[in-house]
Amino acid sequence: MGSLEQNGLRTKSDGGLRPVSAGGLRPVSDGPMAADASGSGFFATRADWLVNWGRKNSLWPMPLGLSCCGIELMAMIGPKFDLARFGAEAARFTPRQCDLLIVAGTLTWKMATAARTIYDQMPDPKWVIAMGVCSSSGGMYDSYAVVQGIDSIMPVDVYVPGCPPRPDAVIDAILKLQKKIEREAPLAKLLGSGVPERDETGTGKLVFQPNHGIAKGVLDKHPHDPKGKLGLSDPQPRKTEIK
Amino acid sequence: MTSNDTRPEAGGAAGPQPDGAPAAPRWAAALSGLEYKQLVGADGMATLEVAREHLHALLAALKERAGFAMCTLVTAVDHYPKAPRFALTHQLLSLEHNERLRVRCWLREGDEHAPSCADLWPGANWSERECFDMFGIRFDAHPDLRRLLLPQGYDHHPLRKEFPHAGIEPDRLYRQWDKQRRAGWNAEEGATR
Repeated sequence: MGSLEQNGLRTKSDGGLRPVSAGGLRPVSDGPMAADASGSGFFATRADWLVNWGRKNSLWPMPLGLSCCGIELMAMIGPKFDLARFGAEAARFTPRQCDLLIVAGTLTWKMATAARTIYDQMPDPKWVIAMGVCSSSGGMYDSYAVVQGIDSIMPVDVYVPGCPPRPDAVIDAILKLQKKIEREAPLAKLLGSGVPERDETGTGKLVFQPNHGIAKGVLDKHPHDPKGKLGLSDPQPRKTEIK
Repeated sequence: MTSNDTRPEAGGAAGPQPDGAPAAPRWAAALSGLEYKQLVGADGMATLEVAREHLHALLAALKERAGFAMCTLVTAVDHYPKAPRFALTHQLLSLEHNERLRVRCWLREGDEHAPSCADLWPGANWSERECFDMFGIRFDAHPDLRRLLLPQGYDHHPLRKEFPHAGIEPDRLYRQWDKQRRAGWNAEEGATR
């Protein structure tokens, strides 16, 4: 290993493989390239990059259409907006074959157990898009029957505002999710690079939550009982994390 | 019920009508021998008030003999703090005669149960389940009296007047479900190791 490092084949900062050519070292950024000038040789890239490239361009969405957002979801997959351009048109109606859960619509507490079961049945790696304000925050349904944001029962990667959002807004969310997948390091454990495998910025199970700044002031109160008159407030601050 | 909500119709349901009063309704003959009171609702719809003991017999007669083939709605109105408190309401429709009819049955608090009409109109099954979900009115001999819209095990009936306007979230039930499920997983994991 020492001699390889001296030759610059592995660097500590990169943690992955560096492209090599027969003639010597060439600094190459991410991305595949033909190392041989004749075009018949091999190409070299970062292994993480290769895995992520495959993952992000072949997302298999699991549509969970719960209300009107489901109609926009159908339009997005249909020919006019054509999600196939981004490799995510293969919607399957079993969670076992999917890696992208799109929660489209109002999630009620009665449906919450089913939605969480669907999420649990999806194999890793998996991502979640909260489509529309209802699934992002409860939306206009400030009601006892509606989950006030699906991030209270499952981690969310991208939130899409709108009631319902246009299909291009959801396509934008998928592009943002692809950027996010690019930042992941799926082979980190295998290569021993020490970087975290998932890029967990902004997801529900993570450290950062959009509402974290106000969590202490507001969210430790029950949303329907901010002044504590009804005795509904939790003694503990509300946390989205589920142990 | 406010006083201008309903008014008794002059002359009652059947029998000879004084001049100027409306003629006996079409279904009066079909209901002979049954105890009920005929009113006219504030919206002009014919309304029959009936005691709980006679409710099922009246509904059966309306369906079998008066041609009300469709029960469009079973719901209730909470008139708290008045007593009796709940007005159980059936809305019937006769497609044959293009007529609608309302049947009202008063239920006292603490004794809020009524005979089910799901055996007459199968479509009333879910209507009665929703009525049970929202008002806590039990329907006797209902084939499947579970909550329709809210999770099983929820402690409240939201359309009752004592339910807080702000609502009470059933998230406790979800947390309980989630906790039990995870405990099951952990037990399985421990058994396989």
